[in-house]
Amino acid sequence: MAKPRDRLKLREALAGYGFMTPAVLILGCFMLIPIGYSIFLAFHKVDLLGEVSYRFIGTANFERMADDPRLWIALRNTAKYALVVVPTQTLLALLLASILNMNLRFRYFFRAAFYLPTVTSSAVLVLIFMWIYNANGLLNKALDALGLPTYNWLGDPAVALTGIMIMNIWSTAPLFMVVFLAALQDIPDTLYEAADLDGANWWHKFWKITVPMLRPVTFYVVVMGVIGTFQLFDQSYIFSAGSGGPNNSTLTMVLLIYQYAFSVLDMGYASAIAFLLAVTIMIATLIQRYVFKEERLG
Amino acid sequence: MKKKLSLWMLLLAVVMVVSACSGGKGGNEASPSATSSSSPSASSPSASPSAQPVEVTLAGWGASPEEQELLQQVLDEFQAKNPDVKVKYEVIADRYMDVIKTRLIGGEAPDVFYLDAFEAPALIAENVLEPLDGYVTPDFDLGDFEEPMLNAFKGTDGQIYGFPKDYSTLALFYNKKLFAEAGIDNPPATWEELLEISKKLTKRNGNQVEVYGLGQAPELARQMFMILAYGGRVVDEEGYAAFATPEAEKGLALVVDQHLVDKTAAQPTDVGAGWGGEMFGQQKAAMVIEGNWAIPFLQNTFPDLDFATAEVPTVNGKKGTMAFTVAYVMNKASKNKEAAWKLLSYLTGKEGMKTWTSKGFALPTRKSVAAELGYDKDPLRGALVAGAPYATPWQAGPTLPIVMNNFNNLFVSAYMGDMPLSEALKQAQETANKEIRNAR
Repeated sequence: MAKPRDRLKLREALAGYGFMTPAVLILGCFMLIPIGYSIFLAFHKVDLLGEVSYRFIGTANFERMADDPRLWIALRNTAKYALVVVPTQTLLALLLASILNMNLRFRYFFRAAFYLPTVTSSAVLVLIFMWIYNANGLLNKALDALGLPTYNWLGDPAVALTGIMIMNIWSTAPLFMVVFLAALQDIPDTLYEAADLDGANWWHKFWKITVPMLRPVTFYVVVMGVIGTFQLFDQSYIFSAGSGGPNNSTLTMVLLIYQYAFSVLDMGYASAIAFLLAVTIMIATLIQRYVFKEERLG
Repeated sequence: MKKKLSLWMLLLAVVMVVSACSGGKGGNEASPSATSSSSPSASSPSASPSAQPVEVTLAGWGASPEEQELLQQVLDEFQAKNPDVKVKYEVIADRYMDVIKTRLIGGEAPDVFYLDAFEAPALIAENVLEPLDGYVTPDFDLGDFEEPMLNAFKGTDGQIYGFPKDYSTLALFYNKKLFAEAGIDNPPATWEELLEISKKLTKRNGNQVEVYGLGQAPELARQMFMILAYGGRVVDEEGYAAFATPEAEKGLALVVDQHLVDKTAAQPTDVGAGWGGEMFGQQKAAMVIEGNWAIPFLQNTFPDLDFATAEVPTVNGKKGTMAFTVAYVMNKASKNKEAAWKLLSYLTGKEGMKTWTSKGFALPTRKSVAAELGYDKDPLRGALVAGAPYATPWQAGPTLPIVMNNFNNLFVSAYMGDMPLSEALKQAQETANKEIRNAR
């Protein structure tokens, strides 16, 4: 009586694992093994060129971080970048979504038009923006026409990162706009109708209904935004031709990892920094989760 | 029925797993056997002349279409003379050294490739290049090479790891029309003169500068000779950065002060140009210090530009300039070293080098070729050739890439006026040395 059932169970289990095999294999090959291997590398001094050697050095790679000024510059740049870009792009996305959610003419055209920057390749965007930022480029001409000061956007350390910020806000905000738009359309009209009966004005409805109803989506947008900004690489890579210059002002964490891994070929130290970056992002995400939860309770 | 289906699915999954695992291995095994199968047939004496030719890969960075065409011509000539070798030429478009190093690690590096003198000591020290002394025949005529260019590719063991294919020094390019308008007859001979005439050449329109006297490149590769001019140095004997000295600062201050105090010099991005040659061609600088590469560029892109060249003005009464050279080197792990040497020795031999340098894209490193082509008497290239004997080669040991990166980063700050020069140099030196110490 019990035996056939056990066999059935076994067979079911086998079939289940069989179906999962492709996914497990792909995730294992391209995620779990690399993650494990990079943790392994982070505790070794790796020499790949010439005679390959792995030497266990304990936590020396992590101790080295404290004494690496470029790492702290990169961390500071990345944090500064995230602190400006995430709130700005979230607000901009919410604003755009609210506008497009209204009963406007040609709103489908505007939805498509606003979304275009997001579907454009970031490498192409950077090249276009480098022309706009050229000392004789569009932006400086516009600033000059308005009587504002002009900058050497590509060569001046004081403004180079700002240039990348502007570019990224412009290109990423529409992506989150679509997310907000979908969420806005999910808010039941009955809530607004009830508010109308209570005599609420536009601002009250926005602040008391729209924003709270959007909280879960906002959490998602902010978390994705923080992760995305911490992983900034391609824009500053192309902007500075891989150097992170001028004067380390566009040096980001991932660019620094790239430099250590592929220019200096210090895979061990690069893995250690990558580990630090992963932990930083995790902590940032946990903090956000905590903050959003607090508000929901309150 | 259901049971059978699940069994089949399980079997299918297992097959997928097995094939996925073996796929990678099979591919790896197949590739060396495919390449090695051709070499025994070619090297064995019994093979007929029509045997499959040995394939040799050659890699370099991209250049102008004209240059690419010229190199192809050299390679075609080589193939015509060596039907037993087939050259596969690859262009690495971006981040050349990163790609080469990664491919060396992966065992997929080309047999013969370009190597800049600046990167040579580090790569030689890693023991991935084939020492070439053993291949050299009297025919190859080693003594024909310009000594400093050849020395740039010698290891600490005295072996030669690469033969320089060409070189260029820096010279002063000046705009004849702008000089005539400012009433200047001769190019400056000393740095004091250069600073003086820069003031005359700078044209202002209100606050906006329309033409700068001099276009500058605030980076170590171009300014190393300024560090040396007053007795400074870039690295010490142990490879640590050592440029934060009053001597080095004195030379570099000439560059920074002309930008910040005189305001008669600027870097290309200040005027929206990509590099010095472009800035000069657009007539936004009356003078620039550039190399041979700027000559074909200016002639092609700005055909109406009337310019001439002169030796770099003396600093502290001494002549100085930079020399840049690139060699062909052989991968130590190459499977076809004989064929690779055939190619390498042809490209750097008298015949190949003559064709390669015949159009003036680069200067020959062989004295006999230089004499034959007569670039020392060329009106534009004479000044570049004249600089060769006293030029500082762009090289300073295996740590130079780290030193350069940190120098460039902070020198820009001093150049923009965000930080005093002495402070920038001190900080750059400290950062570089920390990085060097940590990497050891």
